[in-house]
Amino acid sequence: MAQRTGPERFLGSLLKAAGAGLIPVLVAAVLLGLAGCGGGSDAQTTANAESKTTTQSPSVSNKGKQGHLTSEAEQAGAASRVEAAGAARGSGKHGPAVAAPKGEEEPEITPQQREEATVASISFSSPSLPKTESVAVLPADYTCDGANKWPAFSWSGIPAGTKEVALLMMNTQPVDEKLFFDWAIAGIDPSSDGIGAGELPAGAVVGKNSFGRNGYSICPPKGKAETFMLLLYALPKPLSSKQGFDPLELREEAERQAGNAGLMAVSYAR
Amino acid sequence: MMKRKATRIFLRGFLAALMLSAVLAGAASAAPAWKFNGEELTSPEKVVGAAEKSGLTIPGMTTTCENFLYTIVVSNKSGTGEGSITELPLYNCTTNTKCTVVAIAAEKLPWVANLSTISTKNYIVIKGIKVSILYGGKLCAINGVTAEVTGSAGGWLDNTTESATFSPTTFSTTKTELRMLENTVEWNGFFPTEAFEWHREQALSVS
Repeated sequence: MAQRTGPERFLGSLLKAAGAGLIPVLVAAVLLGLAGCGGGSDAQTTANAESKTTTQSPSVSNKGKQGHLTSEAEQAGAASRVEAAGAARGSGKHGPAVAAPKGEEEPEITPQQREEATVASISFSSPSLPKTESVAVLPADYTCDGANKWPAFSWSGIPAGTKEVALLMMNTQPVDEKLFFDWAIAGIDPSSDGIGAGELPAGAVVGKNSFGRNGYSICPPKGKAETFMLLLYALPKPLSSKQGFDPLELREEAERQAGNAGLMAVSYAR
Repeated sequence: MMKRKATRIFLRGFLAALMLSAVLAGAASAAPAWKFNGEELTSPEKVVGAAEKSGLTIPGMTTTCENFLYTIVVSNKSGTGEGSITELPLYNCTTNTKCTVVAIAAEKLPWVANLSTISTKNYIVIKGIKVSILYGGKLCAINGVTAEVTGSAGGWLDNTTESATFSPTTFSTTKTELRMLENTVEWNGFFPTEAFEWHREQALSVS
């Protein structure tokens, strides 16, 4: 057997170590070592903090009771605190100023508003559309540049007691100061969990869209992009909509009934 | 034979030492703490902040609030920074559509927050977020609908500007997500911070 050099012996030892089950330990050590490399930031951030500290005027290095604002301000809301902090701020303020808010604080939803509102709680999606983290772009087949048929939709979470499901699709931006309906279906069985592409479920009826057609149409003007909102309404009371119904009437009735809804947005550019 | 045994013992010892040092270094970098004027915070401090023009984008619509205030009680626990968001009033909220914001509020407060270091940058991760929004307007596609935005949010803490920045990039880095049903909600905002109690006007940093 030939005599091995130093490096060869080291490698040989490593291979032996593998046999002894040390490789997983080695891998873990390397991984942990890499994680530890992030420690370099500490020194940097501390240096940042220290350099800022040195640029402050001595008057703002207060610490303890004298830095505390009045108890009235403390007990008040965040807005009062921001205002109080601003008023008490010395010339050595570090960082960007925290500006006091302008205007009125937005109100919370009152119990009555909750009762009268439609709650967006239904899971609603389309297996026909590409999966995306934001607004799905409609493939041309579902627009007037293709077959102009509606995509398939699926849903879950229709509340018990729902008497009817209805679907509305409208432009997010009104046209000529009117809501623009692209599609409306009423009379969907509440026990269903979806609708096939271009298929009208048994017992359902289609409304007259804003193009004047009893059906579906996505057809923005050439050179324009539009976003469309789809609302799936779970209605606690049945409607008696007939073929060619007015989608605006359906919407108003859905708002009155204040049931649950599923929301979805899609877009298309021509 | 003796030499091989000695080498094996040396290697095991070396690897054990390497692991221990890596664990200690890893723990130090993964657990940043709140500091005022470079000194680690020893008792809870109330920090207030306000963002201007912060926007929540639900699919198809962005809701922007001119002012987005918050109060967070920050503290260090075993050397790791944490926080509790106790207030989040919103001001002058509008949308980029014909919808108006009838009401909007942060709910289920306080929201818990933790600090962490990811790839040398410090982040605040807020969990248990819930914001309810009621939209209105005759020309609003979702008139009379309440939408709930829930989930978690990760923002980058910048010591030089004493601020937290929330963006799709910081959400992705911190593996956090806000959702409205099955839709991802985007939140963009720049939040300057300021101590309100004992450390008023002191430089706030995280390291």
